[in-house]
Amino acid sequence: MITLLDMSSPTPPAVNLVDVWKRFPGVVANAGATLSVTEGTIHAVLGENGAGKSTLMNVLSGMYRPDSGEIQIKGQQFWFRSPADALAAGIGMVHQEFRLIPSFTVAENVVLGASERILRRSSIEAQVGDVANEFGLKIDPTRPVWQLSMGERQRVEILKSLWRNAQILILDEPTAVLTPSEANELGTVLREMANSGRSIIFISHKLHEVKEFCDEATVLRGGETVAASLLVKDTDTVKLAGLMVGSSPSTISRPTPQSQGTPLLTVSGIGALDDRFLPAIQDLNLTVHGGEIVGIAGVSGNGQREIAQVIAGLRPVTSGKIIINGEDLTNALPVERFRAGLGYVPEDRLGVGLAPRLNIIENAILRNYRNLRQGPLLAEERMRTYCEDIINRFGVRSGLLGDPIAGLSGGNLQRLLVGRELSGNPKVLVAAQPTRGLDVKGVKAIQDLLVAERSDGVAILLISEDLDELLTLSDRLLVMHEGMIVGEFDPTTAKRHDIGAAMAGEVAT
Amino acid sequence: MGRLVLVRRDQVLQGGQPLAFLIGIFSALLIGILLLAVSGHDALAVYERMFDASIGSSKAWSLTLNRAVPLGLAGLAVAVAGRMGLWNIGAEGQILAGAMMAAWVARIGESWPSPLLITVMLLAAVLGGALLGLGPAVARAQIGVNEIITTLMLNEVALRMLQWLIHGPWKDPESRGFPLAPILPEGARLPGLFQQAHWGAVIALLVIILFGLVASRTAWGYELRVAGSSGATALYAGISLKRKILTVLVLSGGIAGLAGGIELSGSSDRIVEGISGGYGFAGIIVAALALMRPSGVAAVALLFGAVQVGGLSIQTMGVSSSVSTILQALILFGAIGAGVFSRYSVKRVSKENQEVQ
Repeated sequence: MITLLDMSSPTPPAVNLVDVWKRFPGVVANAGATLSVTEGTIHAVLGENGAGKSTLMNVLSGMYRPDSGEIQIKGQQFWFRSPADALAAGIGMVHQEFRLIPSFTVAENVVLGASERILRRSSIEAQVGDVANEFGLKIDPTRPVWQLSMGERQRVEILKSLWRNAQILILDEPTAVLTPSEANELGTVLREMANSGRSIIFISHKLHEVKEFCDEATVLRGGETVAASLLVKDTDTVKLAGLMVGSSPSTISRPTPQSQGTPLLTVSGIGALDDRFLPAIQDLNLTVHGGEIVGIAGVSGNGQREIAQVIAGLRPVTSGKIIINGEDLTNALPVERFRAGLGYVPEDRLGVGLAPRLNIIENAILRNYRNLRQGPLLAEERMRTYCEDIINRFGVRSGLLGDPIAGLSGGNLQRLLVGRELSGNPKVLVAAQPTRGLDVKGVKAIQDLLVAERSDGVAILLISEDLDELLTLSDRLLVMHEGMIVGEFDPTTAKRHDIGAAMAGEVAT
Repeated sequence: MGRLVLVRRDQVLQGGQPLAFLIGIFSALLIGILLLAVSGHDALAVYERMFDASIGSSKAWSLTLNRAVPLGLAGLAVAVAGRMGLWNIGAEGQILAGAMMAAWVARIGESWPSPLLITVMLLAAVLGGALLGLGPAVARAQIGVNEIITTLMLNEVALRMLQWLIHGPWKDPESRGFPLAPILPEGARLPGLFQQAHWGAVIALLVIILFGLVASRTAWGYELRVAGSSGATALYAGISLKRKILTVLVLSGGIAGLAGGIELSGSSDRIVEGISGGYGFAGIIVAALALMRPSGVAAVALLFGAVQVGGLSIQTMGVSSSVSTILQALILFGAIGAGVFSRYSVKRVSKENQEVQ
């Protein structure tokens, strides 16, 4: 979809991105994406992970150069060579990971790189304080950054853009690091900035925030804009959720339903905290039987990540019980759970599931090296055989087994990881985002493996952001919202609209 | 206009390592000629002396070896921790602690048979270094205190302790007021190997080989590699990070302590203030240049030792110690730094083609 610039309009949009394409090796991140932001508004950019939001924002902020497409700022055409060019055109970006120097003060961080003259500390502190006050940003410019909370650090990042006189501010998932009250304060500050004529681009997963803070919303899916500049006040969250998850027809055939086996994974009354020690999961109950795939759907950040970690033993519970294959393993170590028959495919492949600097053999034996010992030594021959077995059985295409795994493609990494977890012949498999970021062939291979395991009687909990995948593979579909299961659906009969409503937290009555 | 960047080669250059080593040393010596000419010396004569003094004879080799021993053990100590991403900057103090413990054993066990005495001395040295490593290890494992700071500060503690001993309780009454401990009894001295060299070289080599095998072949060494590559992966594999941090830092301290015990029993004949000789800090360089590999540690320590001996020898020719130190640094840097080019190639990148990412 292409939005043509209306030359007769008295005020051209603050930002107008037209037909932006950006390809990376093996991936098309933006396939003709568009975005039009009205001056003085807060504009939400929505989309699931991999929808192309970040790439599009990196194009707008000068980090990437698009393969093709146009960037118009207030009606004027730009071609950014670097973030500095974008900044000069009035575009500032607040990244998810802050780029601050902890030992510098707020004022020093704000002016860093913005001036080549030697500045008097007291005068810059006063000036930075003035800018902060103008927009109601509560912050003491004299304090060193290491003493600040995440919310305050974010204000420093925003101040950096304001100091450089940015008229267009991009915030990449700004509330992900904030407490709910800090998020509300941010909303007030953003409104203040919009009222002063600045334009805000607000990237988020959280629909209620979009509803609360934003004027307009653009939804991306698969690198394309599927809905441009919707008026937020006329659009309900259910519709937004529906647009994000899409409705493309499924490509793989559903596995035939099976008679239910015995319950192999039972989670009851589980509570857990997130990384900021705020409740992430509350009183969560679910059961997975042998030979079934239970899918968990939900907008990102509603506790899916945490529930997978809790079951795997990588995150402590605050309440409740976890029974795996008949054993109470609520507080057991990850190894004990593996021995009891739990396989776990973590969301972070490299860095949790696989050790990046180690070679293929070393990664293949990660779960089972204790059984490959000969006295204190590791039995090299058996290690190699064990690894070759996984590689052959699961079709991992690798170079030399002694090479670091960093050289493998995403699809082969995931085959190695999934293969390793399945090589222990698990009774229960928890797979978190197992196909995210893979190419079509890789996705198919992993999905086929899951279905085959299901036929062998394994109980599979599949956590995914891809609703199509969930609808195709699951025997039952659970929807999570704010740390709770808010709905259960039969994927053969469920309506997408109802699932979308549950994801948005509006329980169908 | 463009700029130069290092680009990783797809494959390590065949035979590149030894070639780079030779080219590196050769270029260092070329630059050294300039340095020596400017400071008014005959470069060829200086180089000849350096060569003769460090590897030109069996006596020269024995001197080089005696320096390589503490360098290698200190380097191994740093590398043991470094493989897990931990920095033990306290090897210097741990060497002192090891030497003090060994000296203490020598004082109380003067009458023991020599092999027993030496064995207990070296074990005590290991214990001394390990004890100094224990505090930082516990603090790091339990509450995440940065081990760089704590190990560095304990160097000072060990040094003050040693000063107190040699100015006070252990002061040799026959030292005419100098702060020196008494000379060790004969039975506490490590037996000689050849010329000046002593058995410390054999012990150090065995320890390095043993750790190399443990690190590469055992399940424990494997766990260490996993933990060093990614802490989250280690937890996922059921490896206790706390326990690994604890053992690794204590082991690192113990190895440095052993260096102190060997230095006392083999090279020095008594506790003096400079007994650690900067080996603990040089060990950091050795470990870094060896890329934390045990086999590399042995080779780098030997080279380092030879360069030090050579550098000292030319000072008797009137070459100032600072010029000698610069020359030593040049040779080390050239020999080991050049290895980079067997793994990377230099490319010129034009401004237009820079991809910002």
